[in-house]
Amino acid sequence: MLGIPDPQVWLAYVLSILAGLLCVGYGICKWNSDN
Amino acid sequence: MSSVTLAVVVALYIGVTVFLAYYGYRRTKSNKDYLIAGGDAHPFLMALAYGSTFISTAAIIGFGGAASLYGMGLLWLVFANIFVGIFIAFVVYGKRTAIMGRELQVHTFPELLGKRFESDFLRRVTAGVIVAAMPLYAAAVMIGGARFIETTLHIQFSTAVWILALLVGAYVITGGLKGVLYTDALQGSIMMLGMVVLLVVTYAKLGGITAAHHALTDMAGLVPESLKAKGHLGWTAMPALGSELWWVAVSSLVLGVGIGVLAQPQLVVRFLTVKGPRELNRGVLIGGLFILGVIGSVYVVGPLTNVFFFEHGGKISLLAALDPATGKPNIDRVIPLYVNTAMPDWFSYLFMLTLLAAAMSTLSGQFHTIGTAASHDLYQRSNITVNRLGILVTLVITVILCFRLPGNIIAVATATFFGICAGAFLPAYTAALFWKRATKAGAVASLTVGLLASILAMTFLHAKEAVAFGVSQAVFGKATVMAFPWTVIDPICFSLPLSTLTLVVVSLLTQSSAACRPSLSKGQ
Repeated sequence: MLGIPDPQVWLAYVLSILAGLLCVGYGICKWNSDN
Repeated sequence: MSSVTLAVVVALYIGVTVFLAYYGYRRTKSNKDYLIAGGDAHPFLMALAYGSTFISTAAIIGFGGAASLYGMGLLWLVFANIFVGIFIAFVVYGKRTAIMGRELQVHTFPELLGKRFESDFLRRVTAGVIVAAMPLYAAAVMIGGARFIETTLHIQFSTAVWILALLVGAYVITGGLKGVLYTDALQGSIMMLGMVVLLVVTYAKLGGITAAHHALTDMAGLVPESLKAKGHLGWTAMPALGSELWWVAVSSLVLGVGIGVLAQPQLVVRFLTVKGPRELNRGVLIGGLFILGVIGSVYVVGPLTNVFFFEHGGKISLLAALDPATGKPNIDRVIPLYVNTAMPDWFSYLFMLTLLAAAMSTLSGQFHTIGTAASHDLYQRSNITVNRLGILVTLVITVILCFRLPGNIIAVATATFFGICAGAFLPAYTAALFWKRATKAGAVASLTVGLLASILAMTFLHAKEAVAFGVSQAVFGKATVMAFPWTVIDPICFSLPLSTLTLVVVSLLTQSSAACRPSLSKGQ
């Protein structure tokens, strides 16, 4: 995947992007939440 | 790089920094403003300050160079930095810290532990550890920044140290945490811009994402025999399981740095600067993007420099970046060399500002944390004047250390401080927020055991620090008391389980004297 043969490495690549998106999504969804 | 353009760019940057510092100074009216920026900072300011304090010049240059050696397996550290260092830190730890900090009226990390466990001793010991250990880390960051200024602006190292100290000291001493937050926001924005441009241009130069990775994969046969013997299987593959490189990558970088970030006092205090959970919810967004943009770029560009140097000279990065003084490979030279040879001229200015911003933003947070730990938590007669004096003394000590420490201290001092924070502070900090049954005795015992375990492991087991300290050699006649793999397993792997176990056992064996905190009565 993405030119990276080792699943352990491309998984880290994809998870890094997903973790960044998680932060963005969480920030947007909880924008006005005080909990 | 034109010296006139360089002077204009640096002058412009310093001018804006001075303006923001003055703005922070004008808005600092009380001790609360000085210590926690009034407790009502904008979430974006807080998140940028958190990220830019977290990432120093050493992280960009040193870890970028390390990634050029170890390969893309270090991307697990990017994931850990975003998921643990931002998401868990903000959403799980940050919210509780902000709520508890407001309830207990605390302004520093030692005060948070001290008031939560009703222990002035714990507060003073925590502050003492910060005051004793953090100047080494600050000196390491300052040495890294000064070395960079020395080579870029062609001035003496000692002059570069004084420039950094006076510039950062001026706005931290006068503006307190407000001065730090405002300048951090500028510096964080420059860092984000610089690193994202570096990533995009690198991928564009190498034919796109997949093509660049393919080219790096095809270079696996070029791994030097010395690295193959340590478990290196190529730059797009994890090192062999259980090999020396695997232990270094997983235990030191991913665990040590990835988890150690949770208990960094200079980062925890950022959570005290906002009103509450809503601001942290908003801060997660910018924090996650910042770390992905800055650290993600470092760990992708680092390995890909191998492709560039091979296509333009037939060498891998390690061999391209030889130190002219010694003729030996120096991974700290990989990223600067890559920027100077691969990137357009205009980018050199932006990258220079990126590194300057990274050094200054980390230093400002360190000076503020050490100085206030000394004045607010050790001396305990806190007002703006006393806090300013505390930071001034800290600054002088750090400068002295810069001139006394050996040249190869940057990585060792950084790892030492991260390790001590994780081992000594993390269990007590976690229990302070989430475990009502944790007792004062448990917290004190945990901190003591974590601190001792960290120091012992660094002195006698973990080769990187043990060799630098030289104590094991002097006492036992050998660099470390045990052989591989113990020499490459990060001290956090010993200290954190031991201090956690100590906290649990001692807490269960002793009576909690602390009343149930309102914030702890929920969700237990």
